[in-house]
Amino acid sequence: MRTLDGVGSTPRSGVGTARWYRPDADLTLPDRPDPASVDPDAELERYEAARDAVREALRDARDRTAERVGEDEAAVFDAHEGFLDDPTVIDDVGAAIRDGTPAAHAVADRFDEAVAQFEGMEGRMAERADDLRDVRDRLLRALLAGTGESSDAAPGESPRSAAARSPTDLAALPEGTVLLAERLTPGDTAALDPDAIAGIATVEGGRTSHAAIIARSLAIPAVVGVGAALDAIAAGETVLVDGEAGTVVVDPDEERRAAALESGPDAIRERVETADGRPVEVAANVGGEAELPPAAERGADGIGLFRSEFLFVEREAAPTEDEQFEAITAALSAFPDDRVVVRTLDVGGDKPVPYLDLPDEPNPFLGRRGIRLSLDEHADLFETQVRALLRAAATDHGDELAVMFPLITRVEEVERAVATVESVAADLAAEGVGHAVPALGAMVETPAAAFLADALADRLDFLSVGTNDLAQYVMAADRGNDAVADYHDPLHPAVLRALDRTTAAVEGTDAWVGMCGEMAGDPALTDLLVGLGFDELSMSAVTVPDVKRRVREVDADAARSLASDALACETRGEVLDVLGLDERAA
Amino acid sequence: MERTVTVEPEAGLHARPASKLVQAANRFDADVSIGRADDGDDGLVRADSMLSVSGLNVEHGESVRVVAEGPDAEAALDAVCDLLASPVEEPAADADGGDDGNAEDAEDAP
Repeated sequence: MRTLDGVGSTPRSGVGTARWYRPDADLTLPDRPDPASVDPDAELERYEAARDAVREALRDARDRTAERVGEDEAAVFDAHEGFLDDPTVIDDVGAAIRDGTPAAHAVADRFDEAVAQFEGMEGRMAERADDLRDVRDRLLRALLAGTGESSDAAPGESPRSAAARSPTDLAALPEGTVLLAERLTPGDTAALDPDAIAGIATVEGGRTSHAAIIARSLAIPAVVGVGAALDAIAAGETVLVDGEAGTVVVDPDEERRAAALESGPDAIRERVETADGRPVEVAANVGGEAELPPAAERGADGIGLFRSEFLFVEREAAPTEDEQFEAITAALSAFPDDRVVVRTLDVGGDKPVPYLDLPDEPNPFLGRRGIRLSLDEHADLFETQVRALLRAAATDHGDELAVMFPLITRVEEVERAVATVESVAADLAAEGVGHAVPALGAMVETPAAAFLADALADRLDFLSVGTNDLAQYVMAADRGNDAVADYHDPLHPAVLRALDRTTAAVEGTDAWVGMCGEMAGDPALTDLLVGLGFDELSMSAVTVPDVKRRVREVDADAARSLASDALACETRGEVLDVLGLDERAA
Repeated sequence: MERTVTVEPEAGLHARPASKLVQAANRFDADVSIGRADDGDDGLVRADSMLSVSGLNVEHGESVRVVAEGPDAEAALDAVCDLLASPVEEPAADADGGDDGNAEDAEDAP
């Protein structure tokens, strides 16, 4: 038994069999042999066998993705199969083999040529180049595995089948997998099957990376930022991921396993209030329909953040009005008596969507993203989304629907967004389509929004603070850049003062104020947030029971004085002292 | 025989529409080729090749020429042109079976 330290990301534990995910694995070919020494018949046979293995892997991935994510997302595997079995490629590779080229080199040559051709073209063609590379790498892995042994094969799995698996097959990993990786992209993580994955451990990454957040939403135990020590774990070893302690234990003993696998705290179904009677709503952040049942099971008082961009990413065209309407009403039905806050499309920054042709900007976090896109270049998408929302608001459970706009920095943006809602309502009325105008709010995730919180609250029903972006913009520290991770903690006094500015602006008005950043899900900070005046805290479903339990113990008066002590601090160290916290990883 | 049609799928001849077209072309004995209407015979490529069809980089609204030769040329032309002329993709999945890897598994299933 040996223990590696990292940063706990999802506070749960799981045990399983280690499997490495290495999308950048080096596929070095052996030197080209003398053509006379190559046996063309044997090489043709190997090419055929590799194609069979890859085809099987592609279909497996396709079926799993269709079932877990959707038909649109699965379609890419059909295109991959098209490239795999392309008759022109088969002819050319066959000819090269008959001329004395080994199968692996012939495949690499032909695909590299096609990749170069596609890369020279514009727009979507570059994506096709990625598809070609994926098929090439699968084939090469299968071909190279035929000669040597593969370290990535699970027990009972043939080296060739294991090798034909590719990064894009994450959805098809066998049950009981502990996934080890250098890093995971949001797409990688979203493709995972929460029932099959016992845990995730990565070399890089912070708690607030998108991948960590998605893992948390799916309640997959995760430890990130383990460092190079993780590389020493071999595929097939038994590994325990303890997301609470932030450790990865290789070959855990019986006692350690049993302790880790005890289930988390029981859900509290009813709404909670502080010890002295102040109600605090504890809601869940949700990024897809698969996350609705876990949120309800864990006793969330509704959805505080429905990330509608999950309806838009990893597909080939924007979702239709009806598709969006279905997704919203599904969320409303999952929480029939509770509020569901839908955030309108929030893309750009580090959330690219290929078919939107987003501009390539040197500094995308400070560029065209969030509401900026919705009001201008993607006004048509925004209007469609608003139509779906207004129709959903008129359905059975629709009166609890609320809608908020991301990345607000100017009052005019709120006015224009509200005007869009009004004009869409007028259109629907003219068409005789049932609709209602839901409660409207703004995300506070920029210093500009925090400074203008009073003006925003005047025009809206609520504000909701996104602390991950707010900390990034207040501290001028990229949330994805590990080199500035220590700047990114929301407990820096400048960030706390921005929170205070926001909650103070809402106090005494009819508007309410919530928080839907990762900070809201840390029970060690619940007292502080209640003291700052938040009415609602929304978080990954997995932490809802812990925060509800903590709210019941909070004394609102004591919390207020704790908050004012924290606001008086000038350094993060002083804030940690006031809160009685040890040094913590951001 | 040949026909000239306008490409209706929103995604052009990329991704799913391209896969569907290639699968359709593979289902017939006829040799089917496709190219931009303006590009003449030199612009024609094999319609059963995903690489060639994607490589055309044809977008929504462009005019393409489809040529088919062989015993079932007419049926092949119908199938391919139908796909090119339908703006909305059916949500239908491809057949789930397809264990034997021959052309049959390209049939559409509801």
